[in-house]
Amino acid sequence: MLTTAHSQASLNIEIISVILPQLIIAFGIALALLLVAWKRSQRTIALFTGAVMLIALVANVSLLTIQPTAVTQLLKVDSYSAFAFSLVLISALVSLHMSHQFLKAHIEVHDEYYLLLMLLVLGAGILVTSNHFASLFLGFELLSISLVGLVGYHRESNFSVESGFKYLILSATASSFMLLGIAFIYSVTGNMSFDANVPNEIYHQQDLRLFFEMGILLFISGIAFKLSIAPFHFWTPDVYQGAPTPVTLLMATISKVAMFVVLVKCVVAQNYLLYDNVQLLLMILAVASMLMGNILALKQQNLKRLIGYSSIAHMGYLLIVVIVLSGESLSFTWQSVLFYLSAYVVANLSIFMVMAAIQSQCSSKVGQLLQYKEELLLSDLRGLFWRIPSHALLVILAVLSLAGIPLTMGFIGKFYILSQATIAHAWWLIVTLVIGSGIGLAYYLPIIFTLFEKEDCTELQANKRPIIEHFLVYSFIIIGLLLGIFPDVVSQFIVSNPM
Amino acid sequence: MTTIPLFHVLVLSSLLFAIGFIGVVARKNTLFILMSLEVMLNAVGVAFIGAGSAWQQADGQVMFILILTLAAAEVAVGLALLIRMQKKYRSLDIDLLNEMRG
Repeated sequence: MLTTAHSQASLNIEIISVILPQLIIAFGIALALLLVAWKRSQRTIALFTGAVMLIALVANVSLLTIQPTAVTQLLKVDSYSAFAFSLVLISALVSLHMSHQFLKAHIEVHDEYYLLLMLLVLGAGILVTSNHFASLFLGFELLSISLVGLVGYHRESNFSVESGFKYLILSATASSFMLLGIAFIYSVTGNMSFDANVPNEIYHQQDLRLFFEMGILLFISGIAFKLSIAPFHFWTPDVYQGAPTPVTLLMATISKVAMFVVLVKCVVAQNYLLYDNVQLLLMILAVASMLMGNILALKQQNLKRLIGYSSIAHMGYLLIVVIVLSGESLSFTWQSVLFYLSAYVVANLSIFMVMAAIQSQCSSKVGQLLQYKEELLLSDLRGLFWRIPSHALLVILAVLSLAGIPLTMGFIGKFYILSQATIAHAWWLIVTLVIGSGIGLAYYLPIIFTLFEKEDCTELQANKRPIIEHFLVYSFIIIGLLLGIFPDVVSQFIVSNPM
Repeated sequence: MTTIPLFHVLVLSSLLFAIGFIGVVARKNTLFILMSLEVMLNAVGVAFIGAGSAWQQADGQVMFILILTLAAAEVAVGLALLIRMQKKYRSLDIDLLNEMRG
């Protein structure tokens, strides 16, 4: 299973160059540990982490056009996984910038935070390239355990213990469900690689079939927990609210992207959709999360909880692509998944960037320590347009994109999904998607209205914003606009794999 | 010596898993919840070892070692949170953790 003498011989330069981004991150983690031993400084380690991620991103760009290459049995790098890893790295970089702003307020040196962040990225990198249940498991756990550490990181926050514990218990439960599923699948098929063919005798032997289908069900429910798909979504709003804003961003982007990519990989490679029960299960999950996410978001006043519920709905929309996928249009499926994910990631990054800016503005000085505003309500956005127009513009773009209004990325993403569903004649899913998006407008549009409301209090000024923040805000405005009007730019990057 | 059929091993591990899951859901003390999580993970380990021996492969045992590592890491994080909870609330009752309301 793991590297044997035979496969070690094939670990040559070509293979190393294929997993170079992941290796850079892994090496960076080891170096960061040494760096901590040498000099403990917040600034140094933040800069170092940023540099490692940038180098990994550069190394990753060259992989965007790569042919599918197997790295031992465990990993398989292709252009889709490279694209997904670029998304992961970009969101990690943005989150790193935000985290640095947050952590600067403390006197303590937070080395562990940056280490956990890099471990999280490494986990995501393993997940998106994994081609074997063992590597999937390793990536999954690397991602979730470091995320637990990050969620409960801020000791002085009121909610850190609560959200950390909730996330730990539920994510551990989910991973044991997933593991039991893998164990059942393995016990029936005798092979844990995604490429393995499922033997035919399963269909004829009653008890084998029972365990196989139960295994798939458990496996999918474990992944669905991480994606916060409807019946497994209860943790989402609480953990989103309790975690520090940069960490919530990581949860909303990196963990979702990596999990979804691996789900699609696994379902495509193993042909789970041949089983009617699996298809039915996925359909119920998708419909439930589209409706639940949108309806529950309606009454939310807390901005982070609102984003949490909207992420439930978005994962529901995206699940449609998996349900209707067929062997012939595989590259189209991947294109829609990756495009939708990038639209989702860009929108989330934009909103969270503004949220972090508001939070740091509203912080109050208590002695030496900056006290960060923990709760971020919808009303905190009131009148933002009149104070900091660039930030407000960014929020408007992101919200419109999430709602799927034309000329934004979100619209193109939804268009991809709809056209796929139409080809497959999945009318019920289309109806639910349309209803869900309709309900969605009812909570997305009030956000925009709030931005324009007049506010008398002028405690917040657009003063002394760091240059890098301005740069990020403007570049995300440009990215949002550009990719909404010319979606081909992204599609060109998602090169289809010749199979 | 008669070999144990794979089916029985899987049923055993499902039962253990169910016991662990009930523990996670029903217990109020966070320490016991963490212990029940361990039971669940070890139930999975039983299934992997049984399947590995049925297929005459080392894969099952390798997975079990990975699971042990995971369990250790998870408990490390869990106990750290547990200590903080004890300091903050002077209790390990999970019902205290419901301050967030949306």
